Amino acid sequence: MAMVQPRNLKYRVWCARVGLWAFLAVTLFPFFMIISISFRAGNFATGSLIPENPSLEHWSLALGIPWVNADGSITEPFFPVLTWLWNSIKVAFFSSALILILSTSSAYAFARLRFRFREHMLTAMMILQMFPAVLALVAIHALFEKIGHYLPWLGLNSLSAVTISYIGGLALHIWLIKGYFETIDNSLEEAAAIDGATPWQAFRLVLLPLSVPILAVVFILAFITAIGEYPVASVLLHSMDKLTLAVGSRQYLNPQNYLWGDFAAAAILSGLPITIIFVLCQRWIVGGLTAGGVKG
Amino acid sequence: MAEVKLSGISKSYDGGKTWVIKDVNLSINDGEFVAFVGPSGCGKSTLLRMICGLEDITSGELSIKGERVNDLSPHERHVGMVFQSYALYPHMTVEKNMAFGLKLAKADESVIDQRVNDAARMLQLETFLPRKPKALSGGQRQRVAIGRSIVQQPSVFLFDEPLSNLDVSLRVQMRQELAGLHRRLKTTSIYVTHDQVEAMTLADRIVVLSPLGPKDSTNLEQVGPPLELYNRPANMFVAGFIGSPQMNFLDGHLESSGTERAVITLKTGDTVEVNCDAHSAKAGDKVFVGIRPEHISAQFSSMDNNESGKNRILTKIVAEELLGSESFIYCHHEAALGAIIIRVMEITSKPHDQSLSVSLPPKCCHLFNEEGTAFPRAGLPEVF
Amino acid sequence: MTGVQKRGSGRPWLAISLLGIIDLLILYGVTLMYAQGEIAFALIMLILAVSASWVFISHKAYCYRYVFPGLLGVAVFIVFPLLYTVNIAFTNFSSTNLLSQGRVKNILLAQRHTTGDSIYKFQMFEAIDKGGKTDKKYYLQLTAPDDQVYKTASFRQPTAPKVVKARLASADISTETGVSPLPLRDVIKNRDHLYNLTVKIPDGSQLVMTGIRRFEASSPLYVASDKDDTLVNTLTGETIYPDWETGRYTHDGSDQIGPGFVTYTGWQNFDDILNNPGIKGPFLKIFLWTVIFAGLSVLFTLIVGLLMACLIQWEPLKGNGIYRILLILPYAVPAFISILIFRGLFNQNFGEINVFLDILFGIKPEWFSNATLAKTMVLMVNTWLGYPYIMILSIGLLKAIPDTLYEASAIDGAGPWQNLTQITIPLILKPLMPLLIASFAFNFNNLVLIALLTDGGPDLLGATTPAGATDILVSYTFRLAFGSYGQDYGLASAIATIIFLIVGVIAWLNLQATKKYQSV
Ligand SMILES: Nc1ncnc2c1ncn2[C@@H]1O[C@H](COP(=O)(O)OP(=O)(O)O)[C@@H](O)[C@H]1O
Ligand SMILES: [Mg+2]
Repeated sequence: MAMVQPRNLKYRVWCARVGLWAFLAVTLFPFFMIISISFRAGNFATGSLIPENPSLEHWSLALGIPWVNADGSITEPFFPVLTWLWNSIKVAFFSSALILILSTSSAYAFARLRFRFREHMLTAMMILQMFPAVLALVAIHALFEKIGHYLPWLGLNSLSAVTISYIGGLALHIWLIKGYFETIDNSLEEAAAIDGATPWQAFRLVLLPLSVPILAVVFILAFITAIGEYPVASVLLHSMDKLTLAVGSRQYLNPQNYLWGDFAAAAILSGLPITIIFVLCQRWIVGGLTAGGVKG
Repeated sequence: MAEVKLSGISKSYDGGKTWVIKDVNLSINDGEFVAFVGPSGCGKSTLLRMICGLEDITSGELSIKGERVNDLSPHERHVGMVFQSYALYPHMTVEKNMAFGLKLAKADESVIDQRVNDAARMLQLETFLPRKPKALSGGQRQRVAIGRSIVQQPSVFLFDEPLSNLDVSLRVQMRQELAGLHRRLKTTSIYVTHDQVEAMTLADRIVVLSPLGPKDSTNLEQVGPPLELYNRPANMFVAGFIGSPQMNFLDGHLESSGTERAVITLKTGDTVEVNCDAHSAKAGDKVFVGIRPEHISAQFSSMDNNESGKNRILTKIVAEELLGSESFIYCHHEAALGAIIIRVMEITSKPHDQSLSVSLPPKCCHLFNEEGTAFPRAGLPEVF
Repeated sequence: MTGVQKRGSGRPWLAISLLGIIDLLILYGVTLMYAQGEIAFALIMLILAVSASWVFISHKAYCYRYVFPGLLGVAVFIVFPLLYTVNIAFTNFSSTNLLSQGRVKNILLAQRHTTGDSIYKFQMFEAIDKGGKTDKKYYLQLTAPDDQVYKTASFRQPTAPKVVKARLASADISTETGVSPLPLRDVIKNRDHLYNLTVKIPDGSQLVMTGIRRFEASSPLYVASDKDDTLVNTLTGETIYPDWETGRYTHDGSDQIGPGFVTYTGWQNFDDILNNPGIKGPFLKIFLWTVIFAGLSVLFTLIVGLLMACLIQWEPLKGNGIYRILLILPYAVPAFISILIFRGLFNQNFGEINVFLDILFGIKPEWFSNATLAKTMVLMVNTWLGYPYIMILSIGLLKAIPDTLYEASAIDGAGPWQNLTQITIPLILKPLMPLLIASFAFNFNNLVLIALLTDGGPDLLGATTPAGATDILVSYTFRLAFGSYGQDYGLASAIATIIFLIVGVIAWLNLQATKKYQSV
């Protein structure tokens, strides 16, 4: 937005700049702090922003390497952070892949095919997407307990249960992809049909290659959502080696066993990759969010 | 080689409640170039897409090469289609675009190469083969779209307003290229356009379609060679649609009629004699006289000649358009449906609100009954 | 497009046989479920399998092939849990009433009592097969009060109740074969397995272990009576029956025998919420706080987000690419990590925030034990977490406002403040409305924030259920259902059902707002 008055513009720009930097300093303070804390020795140390005697203790423990203290005693890693991270990545990857496949095929039908109840289904999706899984945790718990009787690998305390349960979140993504498909000229697929393509070939060879950007956005959004999901995972998982990062990280700040420094290192270790992905893809993601938000 | 036959073709999108196309009967000969014209929304594209196989045919029979194809897929009908939006695959190069269909059909590499190169040469696209469609101009994209159809060697070419996204000069050029292409390939072609100039210049025969009213039994208005539609429009719709600016209509009733000529009294009391065979109608019937702007002659030399006599009516000038080579004068007359448009070759500007006496040559007049159906014109050479 | 859809897949047989195999597997599962008495689940599975097969075979259902898997996902993981939750809301399902009545009956029937008059001493031996290997199999020798010796069949360590037969042996095994019994410490090691064992001796009596050295003859405590589901206590002769009102076995209505079972209790849970002061009080407080929390979160994120969006969209402020990334950072870091970071930073004693406040002002606020401070902290953290989203959306909308409007207002002599209030906000608020409603709904159910930051605390006084000052409705139900105090699934589901209604209203409002926006 262009402000038109040039009077005292310089003074105003400086005010804005100072205000912005002050705001940023406050906003980003936790990040500076956590980086600093991850290099402080011990779990209760306080000190200045730049640690006086930096120590790699917490980083070593976060990476699963026992730490030899100055007095020769050995601290074993308390929690299997890398296992948790790996669990989170597995769950997020497979659930996003599932969501991507299912929502793409549904979105294709909603965008291109005409069938009965199409409008009703779309409205129902729009409304259902407002009911998060956290409202029905008891039922989800009971559901997987039942499933576990017949398929133990899909029952409680299994990563596959968590993966599958995230499929419920696909309604939003269907809307996103459908919106994108609708911007692609329908006659492209008609041309393909005339060229002798089956509907499946038209979908795979023409529509899909043109939709890569939105599919990437949906995958990344679903991935990030799954990584950060806490309620369902916390209800379905309980043994230490099965936890996802979101559930496991909580254990660090138990009042009985307060591992503030270890947490700092683990948080950076696991949070950094996701943050970097987000920042790198932010233009796309923001576009997706805006479109999804405005439409959905 | 392929002839296309439509019998009783109808289309409804909502299961029979409203119809877009009703009872179209048409047979297109092998190698013929046929244009579908009609105002926007009358169902030209729908009809074309039914022939192509992109829309279901609600009722009626469609046959290509004598074989019923209602239930065949577009590919099995061996048709090629050029879309208004070109519909080039944006993620493929020109070459891949053209080869796509053959690749799907698992044709030999050598065959694909040869056909693509032949088509590219024919359309002067050789240098663009490695480019993506985004890097082409509108006319080049259009040629690629045509090339993509050509390599498939279809038995029928279908065009849906292929030139309407181009600017005027390019449109004229592409029109001539299309005509040349058809002369060379001699493939049966069906061409949809709302632009009658395209239809008149390209087509062997023109099919005029009208928007389907609730009571109409069909929206096929007339089929015929361009000049026949111009000279012998079957009804007021065709008469009004073909020719630009459109034909003028005057409201009146029949005074007397014979096989050679009829006399009409207009609403204003003027009498007009026309060379039409109206003996099927009786005196007193409501009729419309039609005359094209280019056939009216105006007497400027005697501007203040206010007489209105036989086939001569007195109008008042309301507006004019000076185009340089010709001028259109818009006049007001009580009996006319809308303004009367007159084409004159003089350039001098005429004062507004000035009376203008114009004459309607009997030979050039058309006569329509109350329903709009034309009476046969008399005294026209048979060639028309 | 319909014409194009006519051609089906090129390999129908492959698809159909694949489908057949999957159907057979599902059918097997259905039979299994049916056999185990899970009739509702079996029925649902059957319906799903049939509809799936129809969709993938029938030509008419071609279009549904594409949407079926997605719809199935939504049906199983959203719709079904919602309905099931509503169902649970009308039951007494909880940690005390966990099992079905049938299971409880079986548990009661399996209970045995010892008569105390016939004690069998026992010794444990390791079974040795012909090759001389041991293979972790054992058998027992039991000596009856009348010095009869019995030898059991060999068994592996049982992890579930198991019956083994014993036969009369001619003489003491160790004296006969020279094999010595396992020492007592091995018996103790195997104690838990041995408790699972019931030994049946030829005269028909069943022996169970009652001490580390002895088995005793036992008999069932309850026998099924001829009347449905009633049981008779063999010791006292009392008849006990399932009380469907309270969900437990009883003989006179006042006592509870065995574990409780799940039963429909009608509106009981809702009645508790509305009338039981120990539940109603905290519920109303929590409800109010939930609305305030969600509303203020939207308001604060809107103010900060909009302000930041306006700032970095302001052309004279160069370098907005970097500002933008820095401002988005709180949104880019996974929320669970940021929330836990704040939990540590706000810590009363070790948190850096209190360290700073102590140095600057000499205060150390009790962020987690003072209700007002805890609420303030929750709102601060949530504003921090949420403003980038509003900012991102606002930037998009701001770009859509034509510059000419500001030029026109400048001609009218408007300053930046007038621009903001007279042009920017009115133009941006309308399209933002559905998003703000969605944001309200999101925060209304923002379990992650509360669960990870305060876990609801500090606790509310006078509540009979675990309820805290910062608890919002979802975190309250979460604690009711999965907290460490004993799980009351029924009550939690009843509250969840109330949340459904509220969310339903919000969803409807959102739909209206979206329509309104789209029609403008
Ligand atoms: N998918 C559809 N569903 C319902 N009506 C349609 C559909 N497609 C086209 N129509 C209607 O059919 C009529 C003819 O459309 P069309 O064939 O595209 O006209 P034209 O090409 O002559 O401009 C229009 O009135 C249009 O509204
Ligand atoms: Mg059209």
